[in-house]
Parts: sequence; structure tokens; C-alpha cells
Amino acid sequence: MPERISLSARTAMFAPLDQTGRVEAVTKRLVDAITLGLLADEEQLPSEAELAGQFGVSTVTVREALMALRQQGLVETRRGRTGGSFVRAPKDGQAASLRERLRGLSLTDLRDVGDHYLAVAGAAAKLAAERSSAEDVERLELATDDLRGATGAEASRAERHFHLEVAAAAQSPRLTQQEVQLQGELGALLWLHTGEHAEQARDEHRAITDAIADADAERARRLTEEHILAAIDRLAELHLGLLEP
Amino acid sequence: MVTNTRALLGDEIVEQVSALVEAVFDGLGPLATQAGGLFAGESPPSAADLERLRPLVLDALSGVHGLVVGAGFIAAPHALADQELGFEWWTATGDTQPRQLFISLDPSSDHFLDYTRQSWFTVPRDTGRRHITGPYVDYLCTDEYTLTFTVPVRAGGTFAGVVGSDVYVRELERLLQRRLRGLPGRAALVNTQGRVIVSNTPRQPAGSLVRAFDIPAWWGSGAEPVSEPDTTLRRCGDAPIALLVAR
Repeated sequence: MPERISLSARTAMFAPLDQTGRVEAVTKRLVDAITLGLLADEEQLPSEAELAGQFGVSTVTVREALMALRQQGLVETRRGRTGGSFVRAPKDGQAASLRERLRGLSLTDLRDVGDHYLAVAGAAAKLAAERSSAEDVERLELATDDLRGATGAEASRAERHFHLEVAAAAQSPRLTQQEVQLQGELGALLWLHTGEHAEQARDEHRAITDAIADADAERARRLTEEHILAAIDRLAELHLGLLEP
Repeated sequence: MVTNTRALLGDEIVEQVSALVEAVFDGLGPLATQAGGLFAGESPPSAADLERLRPLVLDALSGVHGLVVGAGFIAAPHALADQELGFEWWTATGDTQPRQLFISLDPSSDHFLDYTRQSWFTVPRDTGRRHITGPYVDYLCTDEYTLTFTVPVRAGGTFAGVVGSDVYVRELERLLQRRLRGLPGRAALVNTQGRVIVSNTPRQPAGSLVRAFDIPAWWGSGAEPVSEPDTTLRRCGDAPIALLVAR
């Protein structure tokens, strides 16, 4: 079955940057996009001019960022008529890179971003229960079933996609944008281990979907908060585990 | 139930909505014709051939008093000769120059965008008819609260894709609010699911569902005008949009 990544997550990757540390910022965005799998292996990047337009920076900045990516082996530039910059996704480095990010977090930051995510996803679930039509519920059911037999990155994507659909079912562009932004910050880490218990995650998604279908706003919110809180707790434990000698 | 069109409230807004909807769909006509033509030949077009649609895509984008913020053609899976999926889609808002939408459409990629679940694609494919999706959060493209108008493109009896236009809900509200406010009582424009597109009361905001009246059932049974002492419900022309006035 085909896999999806929300375009909005990709759009967020290309959102304009502010003035400070532009080369580093562009580089970090692209490194994250590649290591977190938002850009696929072998995918051709837009031209320097297009990237510059999308990030709202100069082409010189983009060129320097691409040079940094080439040095890290994450981008390959080919010459000629079919030339351009192509993504070289790390074959086995992904997990290592995510682990490094997780080690670098602090529990303080994790709690803060976790609180933010709980607020957004919980409110989205509540509103989705109040506002979902039969068509919305059907899409949530499809997204729930994406976890069937899913493992690894596929399971993680299914998690992110489900919560994106909930935010969309809330009929709230702002909550949807927040969901996408928080997924960008946290998503790949938060749902890193969904694949190890995909059936349980699917049961939880189904319970949330049922609450939304029943227009039970409080139950939808509570189940969503519990679902996310468990993932944040797991992440905190994982972080602490990485610190042990 | 009294059914008497002459006694119904809201002729002006109903006509305005109907005219707007027809104008948006009319704006897609030339593009739909050209897209159909691309697929009418002996061999299917390649992804690069979609560029030929660009002038008419940009025309569709500039039509209907700036109401259209996105337009283009989206190919059905395997309709193109050289890749499974493809599209020519442009967006423009305010005074920005139109921008082409770029995304990876390589089906073997992990990050392939599957639009085959989106109503704006599935409904025209499955019914063979034009469709208005939304209001919905268009997280695939604009991230905005949007209505998407799509028309199926067929060639030789085969579904080849859709042409479409995006309209922001807030812009519709700007155009329609004055007349809604002129109606007596609480008035709202709703879609076939009973979802509010624009209303004249904060108690029934855009995006909320009308629960007091079973709108989906009313559509399902023919959408005949309803005129009761406390409720008016009527379809806006041929559009999948109804006016609901409750006193």
C-alpha cells in the first residue's frame, strides 16, 4: 500500500526563515528533512533558485547549505542535462541520528514541548468530535487502519498521519499547522517506537476515532491525551536510558 | 410542509451563490477541454506534456475576481505515459506571483503523496460529475480553510484525472456576509453534510455542523425547498450548497 507524507509537513520544511544563522538554519532543516525521511532517497531537490525562494534566502545561502550537505554525504550533485541535487538518505544512519537528537534533549524541554503537543492534539480531538461529518470519520478510520501490520518508519508515519487527520477534522487550519509544526519538532522521535507496538497504537486510534464518531468530545480529548502522554513518557525514559554510562 | 418557491426567503443570496459556483466551474471549462484533448491522442501524454496546460491553469487562477487561489490538473494513476502520478498545479494569493506546486510523486518513494483518498479526487472519479469538497483544511496544499472545486477529465471513456480550483472560505465570507446579514434570523450556507460555510451568527461558525436539521438526509431525498414558519432550507441553484434560515 502506498505511503504518504503530508505535503504540509514538507511545506513547513520550506517555510521562510528569519535572518539569523541562515546557512545553518537551511542546512539543519534539510538535514532533518533527509534524516527524518521527509525527503526521500534519490529525490531531486528543487533548484537553488527555487529553494532560495521557498526559504526566503539568497541563492548563495542555499549553495553554502548544499555544500555542507554534500560534505555530510546527504546530497549528491550531478552535472549535465539531467543534473541537479539529489538526496542520499543515510542507509543505516537514521536511527543513530535520531538517537543523537534524543540524547541532546533535556527533560525540561521535552516536558514543555510535550505539554504544547498535548494541548494542541487534545483540543483538536475535542473539536473533531464536535465537528466531524461521516466523511471525516471515514478518513480517520482509513488512517487508523494504516497501522495494521505497520513497522518502523511506516508505523511512525501512520501515527503522524492519523493525528494530522484529527486536526483537519477539527476544521481548524491553525491547529493543523501547529500539529504539523510539532510533528516536525517531535514527530519522528515521539513515534519512533510505534512500530514495536503497532497493534496497541491502532487500538488506541480506533478508540479515539470511535469517540469522535460518537461526538463525545471529552472522551476524544482524554483518550488522545493519554495516547500522547504515554509516548512522551516513553521518550523521556528513552532519553534517560541514553544518558546511562 | 409548504413548498412554494415564490414565498421562499433569500432569493438574492441563493442566486449570488449559484452564480459564484457556476463562475468558478466555468473558469475550469477551457482547462478541462484542453486536458481532455491531451489524453485523446493515440498515446497518452508524458508528465512533461502537462506543461502545455500552464497558460490555461494560470487563466483559471486569475478568474472570478481573484477568488480562485489555486488551480490545475491532477492526473489519475497510470494516466500518464512515463510516471504513475503527476500534476500541473499553481497557487497565488494576494499580490504574489503564481507559484507552481512541487512535490515528490515517485510511488516507490517512502514519501509519495497519495491523493486518492481526497474527496476532490475520488468523488469526480467515482461519480463522473463535478464536485465541491469542503469546507475543509487543505493540509495537502494551502493549509487553509478551503473549498475545492473539481471536474473529472475523461478521454475515450476513461478517467484521466481532475481539473480543479481552490477558493478560501474567508474570501467567500467577505463576498456573501452582507446579504446573509440582511436575512431575518440565523442564516447559514451549508454543504451537503450540513457543514457551515458562512453564517451570520457566531453561534454557528464556519466549520460547525448543523445538528438541528438533518441536512444529509434532506439532500439524500431530493433537496426540495422547505418553507416552514421557523425554517427555510433551499438549494442554491445546481450547487451542492444550501441556504438555511432559522428564526
